[in-house]
Amino acid sequence: MIKKILKPWASLKLTVVIFALSIFLIFAGTLAQVNSGIWTVVDEYFRSVMVTIPLQIFVPRDIANIPGAIWFPGGLTLGVLMFINLIAAHVVRFKFAKKRIGIIITHFGIILLLVGEFITGYAAQEGNLTILEGQTVNFVEDVRASELSVTDQSAPDDDRVVVVPDRFLETGKTITNGLLPFNIKITEWMPNSQMLGPAQAPPSRKGLADSGMAKDLAALPLPRANGVDGATVDAPSAYVTLYNGEQRLGSFLLSVYIDQPQRVVVDGRPYLIQVRFKRTYKPYSMRLIDFKHDLFTGTQMARNYSSLVQLVDEERNVDREVLIYMNHPLRHAGETFYQASFLRGDTGTVLQVVKNPGWLIPYISSSLVALGMLIHFGIRLVPALRRSSK
Amino acid sequence: MKTLQRALPWLVLIIALLYSGQKVVDSDSIPSRFDLDTFREIPVSASGRTKPLDTVARNSLMNLSGRQSIRTEDGEKISAVEWYLELITQPEQSVQRRVFRIDHPDVLALLGLDSEKRTRFSFAEIRPAGTEINRQANLASKLKAKARDPFQRAILVLNQRLMLFSELSQLQRPYLVPPLTVGDDWRSFVTVLNENPMDQDARMLLKMLQSYRDNDAEAFNAELEKFVALVDSQVPYDARKARYEVVFNHVQPFITASALYLIAFLLGCFGLLSSQLSKPDWSTALLGSMTNAIIVAFIVQTIGIASRVYLQGRPPVTNLYSSAIFIGWFSIIIGLIIDRQMKLGLGGIMASVIGFGTLIVAHNLGSSGDTMEMMQAVLDTNFWLATHVVVVTIGYSATFFAGFLATAYVLLGVFTRVLDRERGKSLTKMVYAVICFATVTSFVGTVLGGIWADQSWGRFWGWDAKENGAALIVFMNLLILHARWGGMIKDRGLAVLAISGNIITAWSWFGTNMLGVGLHSYGFTQSAVFWIAVFVLIQLTLMGIGLIPLSFWRSKFARADAAQGLIVDSK
Repeated sequence: MIKKILKPWASLKLTVVIFALSIFLIFAGTLAQVNSGIWTVVDEYFRSVMVTIPLQIFVPRDIANIPGAIWFPGGLTLGVLMFINLIAAHVVRFKFAKKRIGIIITHFGIILLLVGEFITGYAAQEGNLTILEGQTVNFVEDVRASELSVTDQSAPDDDRVVVVPDRFLETGKTITNGLLPFNIKITEWMPNSQMLGPAQAPPSRKGLADSGMAKDLAALPLPRANGVDGATVDAPSAYVTLYNGEQRLGSFLLSVYIDQPQRVVVDGRPYLIQVRFKRTYKPYSMRLIDFKHDLFTGTQMARNYSSLVQLVDEERNVDREVLIYMNHPLRHAGETFYQASFLRGDTGTVLQVVKNPGWLIPYISSSLVALGMLIHFGIRLVPALRRSSK
Repeated sequence: MKTLQRALPWLVLIIALLYSGQKVVDSDSIPSRFDLDTFREIPVSASGRTKPLDTVARNSLMNLSGRQSIRTEDGEKISAVEWYLELITQPEQSVQRRVFRIDHPDVLALLGLDSEKRTRFSFAEIRPAGTEINRQANLASKLKAKARDPFQRAILVLNQRLMLFSELSQLQRPYLVPPLTVGDDWRSFVTVLNENPMDQDARMLLKMLQSYRDNDAEAFNAELEKFVALVDSQVPYDARKARYEVVFNHVQPFITASALYLIAFLLGCFGLLSSQLSKPDWSTALLGSMTNAIIVAFIVQTIGIASRVYLQGRPPVTNLYSSAIFIGWFSIIIGLIIDRQMKLGLGGIMASVIGFGTLIVAHNLGSSGDTMEMMQAVLDTNFWLATHVVVVTIGYSATFFAGFLATAYVLLGVFTRVLDRERGKSLTKMVYAVICFATVTSFVGTVLGGIWADQSWGRFWGWDAKENGAALIVFMNLLILHARWGGMIKDRGLAVLAISGNIITAWSWFGTNMLGVGLHSYGFTQSAVFWIAVFVLIQLTLMGIGLIPLSFWRSKFARADAAQGLIVDSK
């Protein structure tokens, strides 16, 4: 019964069609990267059910303007089809024979590889750890999301932090919550913005904030970053006005461009308010002892970047120095830390933090595929060649 | 006649060996009272690597003028190192040397030199237009590389050459002062003398240069001898490598190899021709000669690659230039194995085509400067370069080879009677075998790349342009294999699809770099776009020829198949 249902899905013709479609999709997804950011492309082309491929990507804009687009199955669809095709083929035609063992191992590896990519697509988390030299940091930032935080520092031992995730931040909205010491009216929310100094700001954007340390600056909204011109990160800013009941506390410019939180006093108690990239606090902390950026003699070309950090994790009884550098990440607490970037003037480091529960799967699956191929071609091909040379 | 046929392969072997050996034995000593042969071996540091002055001089001159030596108006030859010495000691003469190659007519017009009937100009001729060149270069540099027009690109090239010229003449680069008695790294000559005019190491060089300027050969040679003795004792490893590199620069093994591949190709073609003219003895003799020429070329190329590995301290493939050389090198191995299996000589012929072609590609890629440049920090790992990069490059090589064998199948099948049924079958078998090998290597190579990526930024697969290119090759090979297993294609279909593998490999190897996106977008060249387009068109044409109905093919096996097909259809 099952075999009957699966039979049409087991066809080699389907396999070839999937390969052909995949080739086209990957080709288009590569060309699309010229005009869109890689993450946009990955989501639209390779992790989607369906993709509309603009025909323009196949022809440079300075040669001709081509309107229109075609519908095409996305990477998810093709991956699932390939998965079904493989399973069906083995269920329908399964025969355990010595000469098929290579193929079975290879295909099992491919299935695992597809599963691994699926897990990575849904479960992998990436974030950044930005540390200045000498600073200790115990949170990871996700630069693809932001939040508005209000910190109450009045308790002697602990800070109480309330955060509003960016999905609640909209222009015109007022945020009221029992946990907040004041109401926040969002005059303007800019998902991506640029920051201008007092001299550069156009008159229309001046004086939108009357309190706080950023009142002389001005934020201008920008279109969302799509990876063009190297900008892959949105830098949100907001103009907010705070109210204690009916009493107006002042209007502030908050932005990820401003490193320091700004002070607001309510009923004699000080609070700190800030728009920042989304933070996840960790049970461990890292102190940057030294960041090194070595150059090749007589050039501006980087030879190496390295960060010497003190890793402290009380839960796991870890307190040691670690050197993280190119191609030598640190693995700790199910996360991996990579040397990713650095701050201007080599004053600090940016580590990429990746948590991918499926990280081992590609290693296992691709070893299986390679092993299977070697067995298969070894069994089938070598004797055939030997025959032909005689 | 018989004797000649038997002797021919040996004759070719001996001539090829003599031809290759002659370059090594042949002295290229510079005739001068000054000991320039020793001077050019002095190690210096440039672009992050220690190399002999000879390399710096040759590469700089190559960059400026497209040649490694100069001919003056009276036909006198000036070697690169003499030109360099003159540049740093006698500026009044060196500005008169015609070393700047300028082709673009608008640039020449801008310089007021468009009435001249030559393409190389001196600094003195260009200097008057200096401000204007600067202004134009500034305008052009504000545009993105892709948006610049040919004039703007030419201006930027000229501007870059002027900068190189001035940096060299002012001794800002290379770093000339070795760590002899002071410090532990190479230092800039001018900086050292500005900071400490009494610096011992720099003063030795200074004296040498002064005596060269004063035309005092005796003092020059004496100072040089002292300097070199110190270099040998303080930085012996760099000194040894620099000496070897001077020999390497002179011998130019890849040029020798490419000439031999061309000869091998011609011998192979004549071999095939004689087999078609039913002269089997001649065919055997010519094909044997071809194999011998290829073997000698292969040895020369291997020595060349080994020399680069020694000089660079890196696995063989580090950039596009070396990948081209490696693809050719590995194709030769595949070709020689195939010829052992199938005595038609096609393995050798196709190997020599790929060997020659890739060396030409490499020659053009390498013409702009040092081909052993340092690598960005993330690439600075011998382990992954030796595994991922080498295996992926072997995958390129094998996919190309399958495509070229398939080309032979199509061309011989359509236009000649060389392919009979048995030969056709065994050729198909070879194409199939090479595709299997290509599938394994391209898959393993791609996966190794994924593991490298996971090790360096935690992402096994990032959908980067070059990664996608590698994946395309894997998918193409898998498509061919599955189509074959499913009986969707027969011999001819296999050949046509294998040719399309050439397009995908070329795209993956070069095309992805041209997009200017992603982590691997190094080594972009404008003229490469044109040649890739030509290559793709040729492959499409070949595929079209392959699709001509079998009844029009001249080879008999094909007609037999077509006839058979008719019978099957009529049933």
